[in-house]
Amino acid sequence: MAGSALGISLAPYIRSSPTLTKIFTPIANWYAGGALYRQYGLLYDDLLIEERPEVQKALSRLTPRQAYDRAFRIKRASQADVLHAPLPKEQWTKPEQDIRYLLPHVIDVEAEIKERAHWDTLAVTRRK
Amino acid sequence: MLSTTRASVRIARRSFATVVDNAGLKVASIESNQPTVSVTVLAKAGPRYQSKPGVAHALKNFAFKGTGERSALGTIRESELYGGVLSTTLTREHLALTAEFLRGDEQFFIDVLSSVISSTNYTRHEYEELVLPAMESDISALLADPASHAVELAHALAFRSGLGASLFAGPHSPVTAHDVQQFASSAFAKDNIAILGTGLSESSLKSLATSASSASGLTTSVSSYFGGETRVESHGGLQTIFIGFGSAGAPSSELAALAAYLDPNPSVKWARSESPLLQSGKTSARVVYLPYSDAALVGLLIQGSSTEQVTTAGKAAITALKGSTALKADDLKSAIAKAKFRLANTADTREGLINIVGSNVLSGSSGVSLESSLSSLDKITATAFNKAATTLIKGKPTFVAIGDTTKLPFADELGL
Repeated sequence: MAGSALGISLAPYIRSSPTLTKIFTPIANWYAGGALYRQYGLLYDDLLIEERPEVQKALSRLTPRQAYDRAFRIKRASQADVLHAPLPKEQWTKPEQDIRYLLPHVIDVEAEIKERAHWDTLAVTRRK
Repeated sequence: MLSTTRASVRIARRSFATVVDNAGLKVASIESNQPTVSVTVLAKAGPRYQSKPGVAHALKNFAFKGTGERSALGTIRESELYGGVLSTTLTREHLALTAEFLRGDEQFFIDVLSSVISSTNYTRHEYEELVLPAMESDISALLADPASHAVELAHALAFRSGLGASLFAGPHSPVTAHDVQQFASSAFAKDNIAILGTGLSESSLKSLATSASSASGLTTSVSSYFGGETRVESHGGLQTIFIGFGSAGAPSSELAALAAYLDPNPSVKWARSESPLLQSGKTSARVVYLPYSDAALVGLLIQGSSTEQVTTAGKAAITALKGSTALKADDLKSAIAKAKFRLANTADTREGLINIVGSNVLSGSSGVSLESSLSSLDKITATAFNKAATTLIKGKPTFVAIGDTTKLPFADELGL
């Protein structure tokens, strides 16, 4: 179980066990399909709560292309939401397109914050 | 009896280097009896060798950022705990990564340097968050200092490409982190770097040698001298002119003597010089003598707050330059003595010593000694000096004016 600003996640534990992976993968896929964000053309990482310094920093590290695409997807989904209708089916996000483009950056930023805290609170002992 | 307490304390200082060619890689360890020791990785990766304008400047600022072993923050904090200093120096020909530290800490600092040259990550976010702001502040510092700006412009005029490339990236440089990574892979290749240690044994430097990549090194074209004139409008700074001449080919010791002769500044601190170049203290003048492996630039940089005085001093500078073609024997003697002192004084500092030894080692010459350069200065004859000065001044001058360009003189107005 890994706790972070991303919330508590059991995924690393499940991925570490082949049996659990086998059981949970179909359920996870069904859930992602059922959460409807793909029908609005979004990726899972578009749903990450961005009002957090770690995620803001991670967003600043996207390539210009990634940042543009993210803004486009969010605008398109907002418009679809205003119209109270999902996008036409050909614009839905396909499962293979649903990549975690933001998560690695958030993990990096969290690791950096943790490292800084480590160095700031380090207890130095004299070499013998 | 105060005078007895000032009895001459002479520390016998011997500086010599041993150079070992370690399977294509040059390792030199310089004997020094200083309490701190240092390791320098000197790479032929100055702007002269760069593949894209500004990439050498970016690489300089990318040193000591995140590597496979530790993050940028970790490198800084850990070396602070050891009390060492990590620094980078960029010249037109070489990039030097230096670690200075206390004896006994070599294991950590050598490990830092080897991870920098072998496994720096060159990530895009570090480039944008840490490297670019550092580069921008370098560039704005350059633009705020007309003296360095004039020397930069003079290089561009004098050598055009190669040595003419600026030490600094342009304000809107097209360099990306990927470009820096590609440049670094050949910059830190085995045949492109030399490892220099002061106060360390060669065996401790050898572990650094193994981390160098075996890619092929960087290449450049042979320098040639062009010369020219440029004027840059600027406000707020001092009125600045640079008058210089260059020569292609390995710099001769005559040019070092000429630079020492041209220097109008008095040798006694706070003394007033009557030199017309200084306009009784209203202008400042300094000699710019920049020897490179296959070219040299000699000139005078004059700065002052009023354009009239700078113009008068500039005329005096040209008289001084032209006067150097027929030098009296006494003047030559003092110029040689001055040049010898300067060379020896540079070699007294660690940085100067590393520069001298490093450029010798990288150019592949084995006879690394200060004595040979000093004795070559001794051997200068009046005819050789006058001949060297005449050939230099016969070339096209390099003239740079920065400041109020409506009032600063043109090269021909000064009599060039």
